[in-house]
Amino acid sequence: MKKRITVIIVTVITLLTIVSYLIFQMLTDDQDIEEVIKQEFRSLGQYVENVYSIEYLDDDRVLIFYSWSYPEYSNLGVLELEKTWRGWQFVEAISNRIEIENAWLKGVYAEITDHVILRGTVTAAVEEIVLITDDGREYCPSVGKAERNMWYLILEDEPFEEATFILFDRNGEVIREEVLQFDLNS
Amino acid sequence: MNLSLKYKVLMIFMLLVFIGVFLYYYGAKVRQEEADAEALRDYSYIVREYALDAVYKSKENPVEVELYPSAYTEAILERWKAISDRYPEFEYPEAAIEEGDWFKVNRVIKDAEMLKDTVDKMYEDATVEFEGLKGSFTTLLDYIFYQKYEPSNIEDILIDLGFESPREEE
Repeated sequence: MKKRITVIIVTVITLLTIVSYLIFQMLTDDQDIEEVIKQEFRSLGQYVENVYSIEYLDDDRVLIFYSWSYPEYSNLGVLELEKTWRGWQFVEAISNRIEIENAWLKGVYAEITDHVILRGTVTAAVEEIVLITDDGREYCPSVGKAERNMWYLILEDEPFEEATFILFDRNGEVIREEVLQFDLNS
Repeated sequence: MNLSLKYKVLMIFMLLVFIGVFLYYYGAKVRQEEADAEALRDYSYIVREYALDAVYKSKENPVEVELYPSAYTEAILERWKAISDRYPEFEYPEAAIEEGDWFKVNRVIKDAEMLKDTVDKMYEDATVEFEGLKGSFTTLLDYIFYQKYEPSNIEDILIDLGFESPREEE
């Protein structure tokens, strides 16, 4: 009798564990990342936000590039989320105040967890950017479009303090070259 | 299964204790979440108002946000300091700024009486004629934080007192 009760209890607990795990999996798989991002903005108290890009580093890690603050969207943010058994969870966020008007190109150096991020605003006519560092390395930062244009680069090599940015329009014509300096201690 | 009254009472008591403990911890968790949300809203306000850079390390018990002044913060502080240099009663919280205690900094400037007295003195000291109503205590806040001139006659006053450069003729 005692043995039978033990078997029943163990079976019920095992079944409950499996069912709970499957339900959690189902819920987290069905999670709408955009809805999660919105909730994160609300919890950070950051309103009137604009998402420029959602960059998946791998299946379980994502960086969201956005701006916030009415009316100028003058704070550029990066939010890092990680997918856990509880769904997408906050890891870290950064926010930088940046000039957004009267400039062809602006940029700032920042670090979030173990990533180095360069990002800034760029004038609306720009479709593509090529960046050449002072030691000759070449990168193509992504350009995200929302209320304004934002460029960003997730840097996996050594950081640099200065770079020339070549700005291209939609026809592939160079419209401007700008040199930006980055404060690596910021 | 026939349980004696003693066991029944004990079971009900245990159940009530369990529910009580659950409600206590649930209530504490909700209160903590509300406190965290309020703290994050305060950080959001201070970041926006003082044009600060921020690193949000943790947004749950404990909330951990690192704040750093940007070039725009420096410009805000320069305007504030310039007014304080001429009107010492308009306090400039040097120590709190050095410490990076932006909430303390903010409490200093939100003294409506200090703001109003300084604005009144600026209108009294100015040698230029002005039209319209004098500024209120928000006039200085608008100028220091956003370099906004409200009412517009404050721009002439600020130029006259040497806080702003004269307008370039078009």
